[in-house]
Amino acid sequence: MSVGFIGAGQLAHALVKGFTAAGVIATHKIMASSPDTELPTVSGLRKMGVNFTTSNKETANRSDVLFLAVKPHIIPFVLDEIGPDIQDRHLIVSCAAGVTISSIEKKLVQYRPAPRVMRCMTNTPVVVREGATVYAVGTHAEAEDGRLLEQLMASVGFCTEVEEDLIDAVTGLSGSGPAYAFTALDALADGGVKMGLPRRLAVRLGAQALLGAAKMLLDSEQHPGQLKDNVCSPGGATIHALHFLESGGFRSLLINAVEASCIRTRELQSLADQESISPAAIKKTTLDKVLQQPGVAAAGGPKAAVSLFNKSNPGRKRN
Amino acid sequence: MEPSEVKIGFIGAGNMAFGITKGILLSGGVLPRNVTVSAPSSNNLGRFQELGAAVTHSNTEAVAASRLIFLAVKPHLVPAILREVAPHVTREHVVVSVAAGVTIATLEELLPPESVVLRLMPNLPCMVQEGALLFSRGSRAGPGEGALLKTLLGPCGLVEEGPESWIDAHTGLSGSGVAFVYLFAEALADGGVKMGMPSALAQRIAAQTVLGAGRLLRDSGRHPAQLRSDVCTPGGTTIYGLHALELGGLRAAVMGAVEAATERARELGRK
Repeated sequence: MSVGFIGAGQLAHALVKGFTAAGVIATHKIMASSPDTELPTVSGLRKMGVNFTTSNKETANRSDVLFLAVKPHIIPFVLDEIGPDIQDRHLIVSCAAGVTISSIEKKLVQYRPAPRVMRCMTNTPVVVREGATVYAVGTHAEAEDGRLLEQLMASVGFCTEVEEDLIDAVTGLSGSGPAYAFTALDALADGGVKMGLPRRLAVRLGAQALLGAAKMLLDSEQHPGQLKDNVCSPGGATIHALHFLESGGFRSLLINAVEASCIRTRELQSLADQESISPAAIKKTTLDKVLQQPGVAAAGGPKAAVSLFNKSNPGRKRN
Repeated sequence: MEPSEVKIGFIGAGNMAFGITKGILLSGGVLPRNVTVSAPSSNNLGRFQELGAAVTHSNTEAVAASRLIFLAVKPHLVPAILREVAPHVTREHVVVSVAAGVTIATLEELLPPESVVLRLMPNLPCMVQEGALLFSRGSRAGPGEGALLKTLLGPCGLVEEGPESWIDAHTGLSGSGVAFVYLFAEALADGGVKMGMPSALAQRIAAQTVLGAGRLLRDSGRHPAQLRSDVCTPGGTTIYGLHALELGGLRAAVMGAVEAATERARELGRK
């Protein structure tokens, strides 16, 4: 079985690193493509022994399982590009946040009657085989396709099937989750440094504390509230600290974060569905390079600009 | 000492005394005629008489007629009353003070040496036998007296023993805590009114909601966080409402309330 990645960025790199560490697939059976060869992850992939190309079509032709690991707004272009090359054997797995199975199937049925499509949402800790992945199966995907994907993704962490309508929420929680954790860890380390610890030690201890707590929770039948109680001796240090967290609205901040990420994911999805992209949203020349590939048609020019200040930011000027 | 034989006296005839009396008599373990209540005015004595207790205006008479004496007067009255009754307090007596902020040390100082003293912090729902009571033993009170008190007060609600240092926290949590719950219930009802319900109905529903939730919490033996999670259907009404509560910092406010009330209890105890 050959695995291909359309896109050679952070996600492709993390998945390849995880898969190879897990030993589920040999790197010479993996191909990745990207028009941008300057990405630092490209050299990382090459060093791991992955076959690299600038041609998405070549990757499609040389793979059985094809991961779409590009930004959501690039997906429509990629699908138009590789559509003609999709065969019955192909299993298309989209990892793009907010991009629906139906939007992908709609594109691909122009080229093939029953494209086997699945959608997954994973996260970066797949790189250390502690990923959190969910997937949903498309109209023409078979049961064994789901099993295959689950086997692959389970080798790099937790993986389970879900109904597609939950995937945006998963993005908000575990897709973005590592970023929340990194932010928390940075701040915890600052706290340690403020109270006299050397930075490296503070970072190490903070990370271990979160890792240990997470492990305890996963191994326990108990509610996190109960586990919290177990740490808080009466009148002790921890309960004093927790009061500060509560006063700062710690819990509501986290709820807000998950909600904001989920809502933004849905917004991105409707942008992709409309195929409306503003030059502002595409930071590099990726689009130009994609358009340079033979057989790719541009979708009717850039439409109305995406407002950088959306309605969830009251008090900011609208462009 | 069998509960049924104990002669019990109350100095003070307020709500706390009444609630405890009701509870003590409810179990049937104590005979009404073995209960003597004293208060300076007759205003409050009627309801004790209805229960079959003996009433008097003489504190010393209540002490003489009893073995176990509840001191259930306002804290500022305690020194005068103890000075009045001290000559009649013997080593056979067990004095249980319900006065907020009056320490065991103060009580023992004002009573004859070797007096058996306990300090009890009940709360208002003792009146309906759903109180939360915490007691602490003085230097001469043994486990036997503790056990007797626990048995006697059992019908009043939840009875626990602890070191005196916990009594101020208990005051903050449960003594004042009752008022915090009333505030929460009022706010629940206001929310109902805002969303279109008549206020009388909203208040009755709010009260029943608090009561029902309280019973489930007490009787299920499960952690409140677990019960909360169980009510929250994914994407449902409850989780949306809870988010608003968290945004409002309710948890921190409640912790702060218990802290403030406890600190004040400590302050009052030092005076």
